[in-house]
Order: sequence, then C-alpha cells, then structure tokens
Amino acid sequence: MSKSITTRLIALLTLSTVSIVGLAMWLDYRLSRDELLQQLHAQSEQTVTTAIVDMENWLEGVESSTLLLGRILQQRDYSTPGLKQMLKDIVENNDDIFGSAIALNPDLFDIPLGFAHYYFRRDGILREADLALEENNYQQQRWYMDSVAAGKPIWVEPYFDVGGAKVLMTTYAVPVYRVDDAGVRSLYGVVTADVTLQELRQYLQRLQLGANGQSVLLSREGLVLSAKDDANLMRHYSEINNPEAPYWANLLQKVLVGQTISRQRQCTDIPGSCSVHMGTLNTGWPLVLMYSDNELLAPLHDHQIKTAITGLLTLLLMVLAVYFVTRRITAPLAALSAATRDISQGKLDTPLPAPKGEDEVATLIQSFKAMNHNLKTYIADLETVTASRSRLEGELAAAREIQMAMLPGGGETLAAQDIFQLWARVTPAKTVGGDLYSYQIVDGKLLLALGDVSDKGVPAALFMARAISLIQQLSGPDVPAQEAMSAVNDMLTQGNENCMFVTLFLGVLNLKNMVLSFASAGDAVPVLLRNGAVYPNTASSGPALGLASGLTFPVNTLQLQTGDRLAIYTDGIEEAFNIEGTMFGQERISTELLETVSQPVDVAGKHMFQAISDFANGAAQSDDITLMLLELTEPAENWTSEFNPKAEMPAQVAQWLQQSLESASVNRDNIGEFLLVAEEIVTNIYKYAGLAPQDSFTINLEVSDQRILLEVADRGKPFNPLTDAQQSPLGADIENAVVGGFGIHLITSMTEHQSYRRQGQENILLVEKIIKNTD
Amino acid sequence: MNLNTTVTVDEEKSLARVALAGGLNTDTAPAFEERLQQVIDAGHQLMVLDMKDLDYISSAGLRVIFKAAKQVRADGRSLAAANRKPHIDKVFEILKALPDMTVFANDQELDDYLDTMQQRTKSD
Repeated sequence: MSKSITTRLIALLTLSTVSIVGLAMWLDYRLSRDELLQQLHAQSEQTVTTAIVDMENWLEGVESSTLLLGRILQQRDYSTPGLKQMLKDIVENNDDIFGSAIALNPDLFDIPLGFAHYYFRRDGILREADLALEENNYQQQRWYMDSVAAGKPIWVEPYFDVGGAKVLMTTYAVPVYRVDDAGVRSLYGVVTADVTLQELRQYLQRLQLGANGQSVLLSREGLVLSAKDDANLMRHYSEINNPEAPYWANLLQKVLVGQTISRQRQCTDIPGSCSVHMGTLNTGWPLVLMYSDNELLAPLHDHQIKTAITGLLTLLLMVLAVYFVTRRITAPLAALSAATRDISQGKLDTPLPAPKGEDEVATLIQSFKAMNHNLKTYIADLETVTASRSRLEGELAAAREIQMAMLPGGGETLAAQDIFQLWARVTPAKTVGGDLYSYQIVDGKLLLALGDVSDKGVPAALFMARAISLIQQLSGPDVPAQEAMSAVNDMLTQGNENCMFVTLFLGVLNLKNMVLSFASAGDAVPVLLRNGAVYPNTASSGPALGLASGLTFPVNTLQLQTGDRLAIYTDGIEEAFNIEGTMFGQERISTELLETVSQPVDVAGKHMFQAISDFANGAAQSDDITLMLLELTEPAENWTSEFNPKAEMPAQVAQWLQQSLESASVNRDNIGEFLLVAEEIVTNIYKYAGLAPQDSFTINLEVSDQRILLEVADRGKPFNPLTDAQQSPLGADIENAVVGGFGIHLITSMTEHQSYRRQGQENILLVEKIIKNTD
Repeated sequence: MNLNTTVTVDEEKSLARVALAGGLNTDTAPAFEERLQQVIDAGHQLMVLDMKDLDYISSAGLRVIFKAAKQVRADGRSLAAANRKPHIDKVFEILKALPDMTVFANDQELDDYLDTMQQRTKSD
C-alpha cells in the first residue's frame, strides 16, 4: 500500500499542508493570543478603573456634601427644627447618602445629653433617629470622638450603628469649628454622612472580577469594609487567611503610602495564577482586587478552543481535498499500472483505462494502448510466420524421410555377401539434399551408383529423386554402365530448364570374374586401395548429366582382386570446411582411407565421417557428404559335421573346431574364445535338449576373414538357450554367488551376434563372431 | 584337452598350493572337482589355485571354483587364485566372477602375502 504513488502523494501532501497550515495557525494563535491577552488585561484594567472612579466620585460627592453642610453650620445658626429640616432635605435629596447626622457639641449647650439628630433612608423610606439619647449617646460613639480627636474630616472606621440605622456602615465625619470674636476656635459640632457597607459592596460588585475574583475594601486600619464573604465584614484582615497575613501586611504598607501594586500569584482557592491589584481610594481605603487569570483569560480560552476546532476542521477539509484530488488525478495511473502488469504477463487483451484530458497520464495511457496494439499485431504476425515455418519444417522433415527411404538402407547401408562387403552412407547438409547412392545385386552382377546433384536443399532433392528413380530403372545386369549413363542423361535433360545437373558414377561388377566396368559423369571416379596403398587412377569421365542430351560416355574397366577396397565419394568430403576455412582436402581423405583399410568397411566408413566432423570443429556442413566403400573379400570356408550326444562329444567338437579354424588361419585368441563359445553351446544341448544317444546334431562352421559363423541344429525339444537357459546374475560375491548359469554370458559376450529359430522339428542356434581387426 | 593337477602343501603356513596345467572344461572338470575336494577336506587355512599353466577355462570349470570358494568361506578359510593368464582373466572379468576372491598376479605377491599372514599370526 505504501508503495502506491497515490498513497505517497496523499501522505506527503497531507503532511506538508498540515505542517504548513498547522504552523501558520499556531503562529496566528500565539500572536492573537498575546494581543487578546493584552486586550483582556487592558479591558479589565479599564473596568476596574471605571468602577473605582465611579466609586470615588460617589464618595467624593458624599464628602463634598458633608463638607458643605459643615461649612453652613460653621457660619450659620439654626434652630433645632431648622437643623432637622436641613438634615432631612439633605438625605432626601441625596441618593448618594445613606444617612446624615448633625451632632452638636454638648458643651455649647446646656443639655447634658447634647443634641444629635440623624436621618437615614431605609427601604426607600426616610427615617430619623435621635442620637442624643442616653443609650448609645453620640458622644461615646467613635464617629464623634475620632473626628473630634482628629480635628479634621475623616472617614471613620466601620461600625455597627446601634443607635441609629442599625446597619454596618462607615461615616464621613466633619468636625465643625467656629472662631469667636476673640479668635478662639471652638468645636461647634460634627456633621456626618453615612455610607453603608452594603452600598460599598454594591459598587464593588460592578467590577466584574469573574466568578472567582473578589474585591476587598479595607478601612484605613485594616477592617474589612467589603468582601466576598459577609462574615468577614468588620474583621481585621489579619484575622482572615492567617498564613498569608504577613504577605498582605507588607503589601498594605506599600499601598497605604500611595503605591499601586500589581502582582501575580498562585491562587489560594483555585488552581492557576491570580492577578492582584492593590491601591487606595481617595478616601484612603486600600482596595484589593483579585481575579483568576484563567477566568480573565476565559475568553482567550474560548478563543483557543474555537481556533483549534476551526484549525482542525480546516486541516481535515484540506486532507480530504488532497486525498480526493490526488486520487482523482492518479487513479488512471493506478489503473494503468495494474493493467500493464497483466499485459506484461502476456494477457494482451487486458483493457486499459480510458485517458481523460491531455496531461502526461493520459498521454502515457494512449502510448501504452498503441504499444499494446502493435505488440499484439507483431505477435500475431510472428505466430503466423512461426506456424508456417513449423509447417515447412514439418514438411521438410517428412520430405527427408521420404528421400532417405529412396536410398537402400534408408541413408546408410551395409551389404555383406560371400565375396564382397559394401557400406554406404549419405549425410545431407540440410534437411534434404542432392547426394545419392544405390546398389542392386542382379544375376551375378553388382550394380553400383553414386551421384551428386548440383547445389543442395529442396531443388537438389527433387532432382535427386528423379535421378535415382531413372538410375534404378535404366541400369540392369545386361546394360553396360556407359549406356545406362547415356539413357539417364537423356531423361534428365528433358524438362530441365533450371539447368540442374548431376555428377554420377555408375558401375557394374561381375561377381564371377571380379571385373568392374564403370562410367563416370562429371569426374566422379572411384579410389582403389590395394595392398595398403592408393592405386593410381586412370579413369576417364564424361560431362555432368542433365545439361545436354545425346551424350556418350567412355567406359572404364578395372580388374579387381580379393582384398581390394574401392572408395567412391562425392566432393562434399573434400570440400568440408572447418571454422578457419580450411578444406578437408584429398590428402586427408587418402590418409584416412589408408589408416582404416584393414578395418571392416562399416567401421572404416564411420571413421571417415567422424574424422570429417572432428575436422569441421563446429563449422556448419556446407555440402552433402556421401561415401561408399566396396571391399572384395575372400569367400568363406565352410565345414559341416555331425555329432552324437555322448560324454566325449564336447572334446570331439573342440578338436574338430580347432582344426578347422587353424586351417582357416584364424588367430589363436579368436580360436580360444570360439572354442569356449562352442563348448558352452554343445554342453547346453547335451544337458537340456533331451536327445537320445543315437540322435545327432549338426554343426556348420563358416569362416571368412571377416567373421566366424557357427550354426548348430538339433532335433531336441524346443529350447532357446538364449532365453531358456539359466542365467545367473554377475558380480555376486562368494557368499551370494550362484554356482553355474554362466554359459550364456560367455556366449553372448564373446560373439557379436546370436540368433535362435525353431525350424520344423529343429532348434537352430546361430552365432557370429567378428574377427576382422576392430578398434 | 587335458588337465594336470599338482598339489603342494606347506603345513607350517597351513597353505595348500594347487597347480593346474592344461584346460579346465566340461571333460576335465569332474576329475578336478574331486581332487579339489580332497584338498579342501585336508583343512588348510589357505588354498591357492596356481593357474600359471592353465590355458583354458569354461563355465564348467568356473562352476567348480565357485563351489569350492563358497565352501571354504563358510569355514572361515579362503581360496585364492594366482598367476592367471590374460584370456583366463578375461573370462573371469566378463562374468564378473567372484570379485571378492583374492587374486595374486604373481608368485612374489603370494609370498609377500604369506609373510604378512605369518607375522600376524605370530603377534597374535
């Protein structure tokens, strides 16, 4: 799978685009995150600032009103109702003020309890309270005492207003002084305005510090004016979150001297970091703002998630796009690849994908289609050509068989008679050739023919067929060779527009007087080997046959003797080339013939062919090769004798054989072996033929210089010693050897041919031992 | 055809040398068989057929030798041949007869062999 170009493309493209786009998105995210972070921080600061400014404005308003009231009192006297009324108006018309009180210095007046009146708003309804009662008298209240002690307007530490509104509040108290005519300053009273802690808290709540954020407003002395948890109101900050008290104390100190602090620290209640901003309001109250950075950054996180999801979707879409586009483009390539694989395995009819468009892939497909088509055409042509060539070769092979059948022996022959041995062979250069040989034994005459048609191959073969048929018909025991030659020539010349011709030797050997008369056309003359030497040749020949009719040919006569060997051959032998281009040549022929002159004709002939082949050393045969060897042999001598089956018979047979063989000059070794063979044969007959002592059997012995022939005929029961006698296996060791049964082995190994036949009532066994010198 | 058999015995070496002269064929085989049996019965450890003057052997003769070889082998003794003439060799070869029979090419080999055997028995 990972080898497919499609997969690789998709993988690489996906990887690349994902990396690139991913990187881009991440960079974008980082950059925008920073921006966003900045924005968020700025925003939060802004909100804080605004809220604080609002609060400060409000508190300042409260301060201003109270100061004004104070100044009024400083300069004017009012009656008690007048004071009350003024107070009421202030509270009623000033939503910013929760409550307001005027408290006069009791020393200025005769009333020991003093005068202090208070108006406040509760649930939207204006109420009043007298603060000069004996219980919770204003003179013991902190707001009175602290402001008087301070001698200037102050925000009083928060407290629970028992005597008045009964709420947690803090008060802006302004002591009012008058200077009398003598320039003595004396306290006239204190005017106050109240702000409930709840109101403070409401302001602070506008700060939007997040679910886990909180604001803590402290009084100057560190009491909690507003906090997340109401339970902490009015407690000293050090009582809350004790472990961290020193930390806060440290910060508070700095803040109280006017510094603003921004810190980041580990949140206490929740994981993550928290930002802490501390400062003081213009009223001198430290304000602590804490919020979780995470919450602050919640929009950022949303942003992150949105970005991530968008990013992933984008990437996914891109991957899909890459996938589909790539697949689409490379699909034809994959299809082509699969199809070509099938085609390469020989399935040339595999359909190829349809080319779409004009890009390289389409071009490739088209080229492949064309190539495939051409290939099919070529293969079809090749098949046709091969088929017709096969047919031709088949026909040629059949033609060769027919041609060979025209020759005696089918191309190689060995004829052995009493006084001669004849061997001949043709080897065509191609499947069929133009050489021929023929012989016939008729009426005491041996008719010989050996010819060579011009050129080779099919035309020569056809002409050869004509020639050999004519030769076989037109020669005869009473037809002189030269006349036969003329007759054949006339016939061949007819209808020979192609001017094929044949060189021919025709000979007639008179078997009684061994006179050979022959005619030669085209210089086909025999070579005579006599007494171990090449006899000089004085034959005369006529022109080659087939070109002109009405020709006559000179006749040649040769008186042959026993022991003579005649060699007749075509020029294919002389003109056999080796790979260097050297010809076999006449000299080599003569040498070969002389070397093998004492060997039987078939052995000598085969030797010559082998010598030519060895000489050629791999070069192709350039011409048809034909050789005929004729040897005149001594007639065989013949002896026949009869024997009776008795104990002395083997000895008698041996003696008779030995005498005969010696008289025929057979050499000692051959005699010895033959005696062994004979002993085995007659012993078998003695043992198994079931003859009665008065029965007899015949032995016929024929000896020529080629071979010894023994024929034994007996009238015993049918018995073929070659198959019916015990034959023990050879080579067994002493332990396993079978005693006896070796006679047949000896017979078959010491003779060349053995044959048996049952003729009438007789078993006839014939064995032949070749005694001519063999390699 | 005639066959002359001469037997020489060396008691010390437990050796019987049987020299054949002439031809061993169907005629002469029976008599030879008898004579050879006598030698076997004498109980010698080694019997050597000296074929120096043997001109002829047929399957009948081979039969006798086969029989003798088997018989002495069963006894733990051995039958060997020596000085075989070429055409006698040839017959044995053609028939692949008794390939495991010891053959001495000449007298020297036989003597060497005997010496070795003697030393061996001495060291036993």
